Amino acid sequence: MKKKIIILTLFFFSALLFGQKKNEASSDQCFICHESVGSTEADLYKKDIHFSKGISCADCHGGNSQTDDMDKAMSKAAGYKGVPKGNAITQSCIRCHANPAMMKKYGSKIPTNQYANLKNSVHGRLAINGSEMIVQCITCHNAHGIVAVDNPASPVYPTNIPATCGKCHSDPVFMRAYNPALPVDQVQKYRTSVHGIRNAKGDPKPAQCVSCHGSHDILSVKDPRARVYPTNIPSTCSHCHSNAEYMKQYKIPTDQFANYSKSVHGIALLQKHDISAPACNSCHGNHGATPPGIESISEVCGTCHALNAELFSSSPHKKAFDERKLPECTTCHSNHLIITATNKLLGVSQDAVCSKCHKPNDPSKGYMVAKEMKQMIDSLDSSEKNDSALVHEAEQKGMEVGDALFKLRDAHQARLESRTMVHSFNEAKFNETVNKGLKVTTEVKTEAEAAIHEYYFRRIGLGISVLIISFLALLLYLYIRRLERK
Amino acid sequence: MKNYFKCLYNWIDERVQLEDLVKFMGKKYVPVHRHSIWYYFGGVSLFFFIIQVTTGILLLFYYKGSSDLAFESVQFIMSKVQFGWLVRSIHAWAANLFILSAFVHMFSVYFEKAYRKPREMTWITGMLMFFMCLGFGFSGYLLPWNTLSFFATKVGTDIAGNVPIIGGPLKVFIRGGDDVTGATLSRLFGFHVALFPGIFTILLGIHLILIQRQGISEPVHFSEKPASEKKTMPFFPNFLLRDLLLWLIVLNVLAILAVFLPADLGIKANPFASAPAGIKPEWYFLFMFQSLKYFPSHILFADGETVGILLFGAAGVLWLLIPFWDRKSSRGEQNRFVNYLGLFAVIFIIILTFLGWLS
Repeated sequence: MKKKIIILTLFFFSALLFGQKKNEASSDQCFICHESVGSTEADLYKKDIHFSKGISCADCHGGNSQTDDMDKAMSKAAGYKGVPKGNAITQSCIRCHANPAMMKKYGSKIPTNQYANLKNSVHGRLAINGSEMIVQCITCHNAHGIVAVDNPASPVYPTNIPATCGKCHSDPVFMRAYNPALPVDQVQKYRTSVHGIRNAKGDPKPAQCVSCHGSHDILSVKDPRARVYPTNIPSTCSHCHSNAEYMKQYKIPTDQFANYSKSVHGIALLQKHDISAPACNSCHGNHGATPPGIESISEVCGTCHALNAELFSSSPHKKAFDERKLPECTTCHSNHLIITATNKLLGVSQDAVCSKCHKPNDPSKGYMVAKEMKQMIDSLDSSEKNDSALVHEAEQKGMEVGDALFKLRDAHQARLESRTMVHSFNEAKFNETVNKGLKVTTEVKTEAEAAIHEYYFRRIGLGISVLIISFLALLLYLYIRRLERK
Repeated sequence: MKNYFKCLYNWIDERVQLEDLVKFMGKKYVPVHRHSIWYYFGGVSLFFFIIQVTTGILLLFYYKGSSDLAFESVQFIMSKVQFGWLVRSIHAWAANLFILSAFVHMFSVYFEKAYRKPREMTWITGMLMFFMCLGFGFSGYLLPWNTLSFFATKVGTDIAGNVPIIGGPLKVFIRGGDDVTGATLSRLFGFHVALFPGIFTILLGIHLILIQRQGISEPVHFSEKPASEKKTMPFFPNFLLRDLLLWLIVLNVLAILAVFLPADLGIKANPFASAPAGIKPEWYFLFMFQSLKYFPSHILFADGETVGILLFGAAGVLWLLIPFWDRKSSRGEQNRFVNYLGLFAVIFIIILTFLGWLS
């Protein structure tokens, strides 16, 4: 008996609850009337998430939705606003969407800071008409057929986002009014990228516009807070690419960010905040992101390391690498984990990259050349180090060694040039550069040694002078005493 | 050898009656008392001036007074010119010791009341030379055109610009424009090597003639003694030889300082760089610089720093004119106020310099 009473009570309250919702929608006289005349808006609104939550037309447009008298329903006295324009559109939305209590009432868990983010974003700036924000909520979400973000019909569903953003960003006439320098081919490039190809196939996981730029909180790429500001790019990309679980189905490594962070590029960008250092997009492209092909690696690296790339292209290694289908720069320097190039890379020791291919029984002269080049560069390296120690010793002794210090920079420059010249793999050219450096180091050594010698000479000179002056003073003192005794 | 000197002496004596001068100097006596040591600081200051002139001329052979070349020319002197490093270091050290010995000389004359009648003019010329010493220091400091000297000159001329009425034009006059530029360097170089030495030499000549004419001043307590109790020493040769002995000792100290603590050159001035932190003037301006820091930003309706500068100006004028308002000392009476004032000045300068050095 007790069970029956509980079931009946539950049934009664459920009927009351769902019945009330049905009543609310069905009693919206605006909707009833507009639907009856075949209004497109009313038709779209039937599929709208707001309709399902019982939100009436009057909640956005004002007026009285409870009366079927059109004059009364759409009277100013009833608060009828008509079609909101400009910022009034967003104001209608944020009455609920910026109000946590209201959103809770409708059982929504979506954040309520979208408007605050939008207002501070690049889209929150004033439009060219000077009276409203560039972007209103309906620009991306539509007006009457709004569906949940995870509904494939939504214009902000991952596979639809490129087209939604492209409505403005691919329109040169529209974009020229705001940022004439900003390219309008992002969507076009995106469609050629690995992300874009997968996205076009209906995969919602690969990155699209908002994955990197954000949604409501999009900031200019020049803003250090932006997710696509150079120093933030690696962490933005790693958001997906370091997530093993997320990337599992794509079967690609997820250690790129970890390796990059330890690389010379990563240290420069992430630790030294040198924004001229390459981030992920510098090599892979941004909107057209794709791994560079074997043939194009030297071109990609060569955008910054131009001389190295040029020397390599005219070196005997170019043909050899092409024949063996070896990626040019990365074969010796790795890709994401590029460490500072030291002399260790050169030569025939176990650590040296040359020894990977050139063995002692190598029929070509590669093994011998690598060995000699290593000896030469080591000799320049140690000469520079010794000179530096000598110059600093002279400097610490208070000697003026400005010239030697200046020449020391020349020696350093020659060492850097020698390292670059390694990429020519031409012994004669390489020796010429190293010898230029060795000549400078000899000059520096002579000057530094002369300065140190001068330091000791000064002290000896001082000792002799002090002795002579003191002797004269003593003689004078004795003479004065003799004079005053008289 | 002795005969050769005798011959040379006789040759000059025949023409300029050197004998009269020797007799005149032989008649001059220097009072001997417990404060006689202070008499030597005038001679030491003179010795430093001679060193400054000599080393200054040597530096002039290589120094180039333009903002493009000044730093490099000093660098050249320090590294390429034979003993250039020594000449510059001695010039820099002697400049500091010159001002120090001038300070000591000035205060010793003050406490001995040697400025009293009839030596008012000697005091005035001495004080003017002292101010010129500071001017030498200020103008010479910028000449290497390094970062420190550039910004110290900027700060120094900014302070001068706060003098009421004449401050603005004075600042523009010193700088040769609105800011410290190459024009300032050329101007201060001109002051340092031509204008100031010229005026200084005239003042020095008057100062020395007055000393020779009026003799060495006797302190009040000494002059009150009966003639039989007054202990003296001949100026020539005794005092002069003692002076020479001290000069040799000072030369030794100077050589040691120049070798062990050579003047450094720093980094070339960059007018577009920001001023290094904690920029300070040379030690002899430090007490004034530090004092100005303690003045509030506003005193009644006036700018605090301006009031400070006016107070220092007034104190300088009072100090300069002391022979005219210290009547008691002129009458041979003791003036405790003047003693306490001098003591206060010495303590004030030492403490403020120390605080400035610490800050």
